[in-house]
Amino acid sequence: MYWNKSYECMPREKLQELQLERLKRMVNRIYHDVPFYRNKFQEKGLMPEDVKSLEDLQKLPFTTKVDLRDNYPYGLFTVPLEQIVRIHASSGTTGKPTVVGYTRNDISMWSELMARCLVAAGAGPHSVIQNAYGYGLFTGGLGVHYGAERLGASIIPISGGNTAKQIMIMQDFGSTVLTCTPSYAIYLSEVLAEAGIDPESLKIRVGIFGAEPWSENIRKDIEKKLKIKAYDIYGLSEIMGPGVAIECECQDGLHVWEDHFIPEIIDPVTLKVLPYGEQGELVITTITKEGIPILRYRTRDITTIKPEPCACGRTHLRISRLQGRTDDMLIIRGVNVFPTQIESVLLEIGEVEPHYQLVVRRDGSLDTLEIKVELSEALFSDRISNLENLEKRIRDRIQSTIGVNAKVALVEPKSLPRSEGKSQRVVDLRKI
Amino acid sequence: MIRQVSIFIENHEGRLNHILKILADNKINIRSLNIADATDFGIVRLILQETEKGIEFLKKNDIITTVTPVLAAEISDDPGGLSTLVDALTQAKINIVYAYSFLPKKTDNAIIIIRVDDEVQQKAIETLEKVAEINLLDRETLLLK
Repeated sequence: MYWNKSYECMPREKLQELQLERLKRMVNRIYHDVPFYRNKFQEKGLMPEDVKSLEDLQKLPFTTKVDLRDNYPYGLFTVPLEQIVRIHASSGTTGKPTVVGYTRNDISMWSELMARCLVAAGAGPHSVIQNAYGYGLFTGGLGVHYGAERLGASIIPISGGNTAKQIMIMQDFGSTVLTCTPSYAIYLSEVLAEAGIDPESLKIRVGIFGAEPWSENIRKDIEKKLKIKAYDIYGLSEIMGPGVAIECECQDGLHVWEDHFIPEIIDPVTLKVLPYGEQGELVITTITKEGIPILRYRTRDITTIKPEPCACGRTHLRISRLQGRTDDMLIIRGVNVFPTQIESVLLEIGEVEPHYQLVVRRDGSLDTLEIKVELSEALFSDRISNLENLEKRIRDRIQSTIGVNAKVALVEPKSLPRSEGKSQRVVDLRKI
Repeated sequence: MIRQVSIFIENHEGRLNHILKILADNKINIRSLNIADATDFGIVRLILQETEKGIEFLKKNDIITTVTPVLAAEISDDPGGLSTLVDALTQAKINIVYAYSFLPKKTDNAIIIIRVDDEVQQKAIETLEKVAEINLLDRETLLLK
């Protein structure tokens, strides 16, 4: 089943013609409308006219999360705010979030692509979609929501959390599709088992899971426990949000919607483009976005491009499941967390450069973040309650600025490992 | 006023011993010990025979310490002895943050170490000095007991 067969199954030559035409238009626009890109082109001695083929994309400059931060909040927008109808944001590498804006056409394009994803995973107008992605600045909730409405499915905008209510709604509303993070899906399955609810008694048949890396083993586990088919979905707010790529019924790689995005794989060290099939960093160019078109965005996600034709009939290239990150970003219960964000919170509270370590564990099915912070003499107090308050202050501040629940543990000075004078910041004990 | 040494330690095996060893190796005698514990950490409170030297050695070993002023009150080691002390503070509306016993070597009386909030410390001293059954000790006298 397809949502938009003529585009999803477009012959590759035609698809590439379309890409080139759209890329040229996009490059022209950012060159003329965004000083940041114009400067970058000029530094390289490039003009928009230099893009004559899709291969010429390789000559063009990259965009990074740091560029988005440096142009915070609206510096990379190509249209005035009156044409922006929605603003989303995701974690930045420091205290400031990464901001993206959507025009009416962008929302429409996103809804279209998300509808394609839902259909690829087996949903249809008859589906009842329980959307347990968070609604808010995070693109997950609203991204799925608009796609489901475009498709004509019945969307239940329950958002994340409140597991007891999730289960009640699943039972009473007859949800047929579940959308959430894979770790939350596992958690739900465990709660169902504890409550003695047989998943067969539910109508859920499809799960669309993303916003964090997961493995084939986790898929098998979820499929067995929830008695569903589980599909991987990929997206990031800088490019659009959920729906950049999706698994089809073959469950063997995620189709990237190439009529809107051009994926490349680069060597993160040499920055050279790698041939299809080689593992490297995924780079994506948006070729139709209006609000904030992004040229060669370095996603920091590690994957490979699978060029082989897919049995489903879609002609769009597939990427394999994400293999990891090239930076130190952690994804904890769907929330992107950078160690530097934690560092700025600690700096605010302690007023000195903190020594800390982030320990990520998977307790049962939920990820937990523990922040070990070396106590300093200045912050030490003879009273237990003062120290407990200090832990609480750090915890609350991290909850309010980063949106993740963390356990904070004060530890003795010089007790955390140091390499080249800096602490080894992250210990990830999760087995994905 | 007694200078108590407060030390931060993580709440797991070996940490207390680490501190005790530093003091033992440097021949610093511990006159009293009290441990308060939270989930992950604890505070060890010591009265040392040689406070300054003790702190110096602890700091050299990257142990976090702070000096906390506490009161030492000698009372009779009989039923009701401690009650007299607490009564006096209660009537003066002074909250005891924590208290523990000091083990004297040379007297049959009991000695209680009391921590009150800094801003009521002076008031606590004045209150206790008025009670005949209570003998407030200074550092020198305490360490001789």
